Amino acid sequence: MKTWKKFAHVNAKTVDEAASILRAGKAVALSGGTDILSAMRFEILPNYPEVVVNLKSIPGLDYIKEESGILKIGALVRMEDIVRNDTIKAKYVALAEAAHRTASPHIREMGTIAGNICQMPRCWYFRLPDNRFYCTRKGGKMCYAMAGENRYHSIFGALKACIAVNASDTAPALVALNAKIKTNKRLIEAEAFWDMNVPGSTVLAADEIVTEIQIPAPAPGVKSSFIKFAIRKSIDFPIVNCAAMIGGGTARICLNAVYNKPYRATAAEDAIKGKAINESSADAAGAAAVSAANPMPGDRNKWKIPIAKTMVKRSILACS
Amino acid sequence: MSEEEKNTEEAVKPGVSRRSFLKDAGLMIGAPGLGSIAAVAGQIATSPKAEAAQSPNQTAPQKITSTATTIDLTVNGGKYRFAVEQNWSLRQLLRDQIGFTSPKDWCGGQGACGSCTVIMNGRPVLSCMTLACECDGAVVETAEGIAKAKHPIIQAYINNNAFQCGYCTPGFVCTAKALLDRNKKPTEADVRDALGGNLCRCATYQRHPPAVLEAAANLGKA
Repeated sequence: MKTWKKFAHVNAKTVDEAASILRAGKAVALSGGTDILSAMRFEILPNYPEVVVNLKSIPGLDYIKEESGILKIGALVRMEDIVRNDTIKAKYVALAEAAHRTASPHIREMGTIAGNICQMPRCWYFRLPDNRFYCTRKGGKMCYAMAGENRYHSIFGALKACIAVNASDTAPALVALNAKIKTNKRLIEAEAFWDMNVPGSTVLAADEIVTEIQIPAPAPGVKSSFIKFAIRKSIDFPIVNCAAMIGGGTARICLNAVYNKPYRATAAEDAIKGKAINESSADAAGAAAVSAANPMPGDRNKWKIPIAKTMVKRSILACS
Repeated sequence: MSEEEKNTEEAVKPGVSRRSFLKDAGLMIGAPGLGSIAAVAGQIATSPKAEAAQSPNQTAPQKITSTATTIDLTVNGGKYRFAVEQNWSLRQLLRDQIGFTSPKDWCGGQGACGSCTVIMNGRPVLSCMTLACECDGAVVETAEGIAKAKHPIIQAYINNNAFQCGYCTPGFVCTAKALLDRNKKPTEADVRDALGGNLCRCATYQRHPPAVLEAAANLGKA
């Protein structure tokens, strides 16, 4: 087994302490570790961190509670605890199902919700060991997937010259559920949380740490759903996934793994808003969702478009 | 090889054996072999840190490099204190230092195969993706401990032939035991879901659910 190169490991006691270490540079934050430790072991990034800041040692960040109509999930809550939480299972169906379909049971036992939404992309050029492709996502000048093998990549074009997709399962659920993400500096709408960054996937500053996820309780009669398409039932990252929250004249639908960040399908929302949910209206909304799709030249990832359309359709039908 | 034989071999091996290395580190309290764990655990169960302070060996300057940290952990009921480098995985610590070789390395540390699964504080975790220095105070159980405790899962796996080459089996057994600890009466769907993170190259997948269900049925009887 490839072992990690040396690093200094610090158990942070407070969020501020962790932020100050991250601010000093050459440091990475570690919670569940299932993403960053693998990235470090295979040295996919150009700069190996000198310091690893363990956030798991910060007390009081692993709660799930409902307060005045808002579900609050601490950043260090393990994915499996979300899967098993009865409140989330009953009222926040999209999140419960998304958490359940994330990775494998072991990774859900280790990985945290904050880590899941902050994960780095799974593009195979980006992930190749020993930083063999110094791509735009790492600060380089070229996206190798654009000219190379891009069958799992973005069907809605590039964002800042990167066509890797966001592979999180909980991200679209949080967007559909209209969540807010609280950091040590600000409160960010879920929709504005993701962006192409070097090398991350979020708008967070280097010393910014997610502390809490806030989800407003869905109004009575509003239903949510999550559907994932992947080769295997477990372990796999999504090829396409989709979360929806529909009811009371509103609709929020979000696809993921189709674009650099979670892709809110506003055209599909407009197509289904206020209408009765049935096979034909869901189908029309699915078609609207992918009407702006723009597969890569060569059409190597064109096959994802009908899958995205069907995911939208099925997630809408699941809300009926 | 029995644990006694292993201990004997370590004692007579010339040069740097695992045991002499650990003694040089000046920090080991627990013995690596299972045979002596019970006695050692009895001695230090009350307060391992107080014991360390009283022991003459422990008062000598500790040879710790700048990045080594000392952790106390319980593995299969035995208490251990180790100086660990910060870039060691729990799997390395269990296999290379303590000698519990059941956590396997198949996927090379990507967290993709589940064959290095151990039970840590009640959760089935991937020991290849867990930093050893974060395991201070942890209670770890490996397949060796489950077998030694004569958990019904072992006989159920034998009865159902739920393996061929056996390489992935310790991971499956740990995952299944963690499921049974949490859920005494799992359904077949629960079992399939819980074992979803373990890969088997021999593809004996269909034999695992009956084995785990048989173990669940025998839980109270043993």
